Amino acid sequence: MKMPIGKSITEPLHDAPLPETQAGNEQARRAATGRVREFQRRSLRGVWYLTLFLGISLVAQQLGSHLPDFPPSVRQLLGAPPSAKMISGLLIVYSFSALILILGRMTTGTGAFSGLSHVGYLLVFYAFYHVAHALDDNFYAVLAAGITILSLESYHIWTWHQERIRQEKQYIVRLDRMREWKRG
Amino acid sequence: MGMSLSGRAIVPVTITVTGFVVICCLLLYQAIKQDMTQDTVRHETALAQTVVRSTRYAMLKADRETVQNIVTTVGSQQDVEQVRIFNKRGVIMFSSHSGELNRQVDRNSEGCIACHAGATPLATMGSMQQARRYRNERGETVLAITAPIYNEPDCFNATCHVHPATQKVLGTLDIGLSQKSLQATLATLRSRMALFSVMILLLTVAGVSAILRRSLFLPVQRLESFALQLAAGHRDIPQPDLNGELETIGRTLQELADSSGKDAGKNSRT
Repeated sequence: MKMPIGKSITEPLHDAPLPETQAGNEQARRAATGRVREFQRRSLRGVWYLTLFLGISLVAQQLGSHLPDFPPSVRQLLGAPPSAKMISGLLIVYSFSALILILGRMTTGTGAFSGLSHVGYLLVFYAFYHVAHALDDNFYAVLAAGITILSLESYHIWTWHQERIRQEKQYIVRLDRMREWKRG
Repeated sequence: MGMSLSGRAIVPVTITVTGFVVICCLLLYQAIKQDMTQDTVRHETALAQTVVRSTRYAMLKADRETVQNIVTTVGSQQDVEQVRIFNKRGVIMFSSHSGELNRQVDRNSEGCIACHAGATPLATMGSMQQARRYRNERGETVLAITAPIYNEPDCFNATCHVHPATQKVLGTLDIGLSQKSLQATLATLRSRMALFSVMILLLTVAGVSAILRRSLFLPVQRLESFALQLAAGHRDIPQPDLNGELETIGRTLQELADSSGKDAGKNSRT
């Protein structure tokens, strides 16, 4: 009666079949307890990625103006950087899309998590602003975008896992009742 | 879960709306600041050109007194921090501050290095590249423009002058304007945007809370109270004022309670 963590975890456990034998009951109980621990661990992933982003932002703010520029040959190869206004427009579009996608996942109850991708995208924005010599002016906009997106993502992933933990605990209660009934 | 229904509804809305408004305000502020700074640089470049053209005739006539008079008059205007004219070697020939006359400036100093970075000094630059910022002794930000004074046919053909036709730049005009008023305008803009963000946040949270409370939380509370009373055995209580799906749930609860009461009655008789 082992239920894998992942795709099938979105299926409700309230009508999952209970094992008939005592050994099966014990095994299912151990598996459910393990899943609860795994969910508790995973529910904090968003917070870790938010902390990672804040750490990177702190480094970007401290070193932003001291980071060496690309050598002229590399700059020539890359071409002219996009203007700060263009990067800002892209940041608004990205933030809007990311928030809509997270809200969509909250609405449909999907537990997908894309915290690491967002940290990567936000790093790219820091890099683009740095190349365009506009990081000092736009640092707080990227920071606000990161905090907003990763906070919402953390909140979503935390509530989603709490819901799964609640379902697993209900399932454990049902298993215990079944065991008591078999004994009685 | 540890969080109420209202909390679960309001937290994501608050994070999303507040965060997005803050991002947009920060980027909008930067865009407005950039536009205003560009406008100021354009205005200052035009002012520098006006001063250069005003002094041109006096320079052709080698009338130093008139040139100094123009420089002093322009420099005495409100918000004009300094006006200086350098010769080719970087010596201050005319200045609105008489104390710095005949002083030579370092070619590596800010304002000079932009043209003198290479072996051959640049003869032309864009207006934004000519601009530099610094703080004066009163702590105010000053935006300064260094405009080249070009050699023209009138200059190198004049009998009194010694400039060869091959010399492109005769000297430079340096003019600095205090950014006090621009900084004040930007500070007002910042505070208005912060106020606007707070108002958006309050309106969103209050609006969502009011709608959810009226149409969801209060009916759910009434339904919860009704269900608890039914569970406690009070079958004669009226169904609460509900509508939509909640009304159906309430009616179903009432029917379930009635049927379980009848079953209990039958069981007790048998």
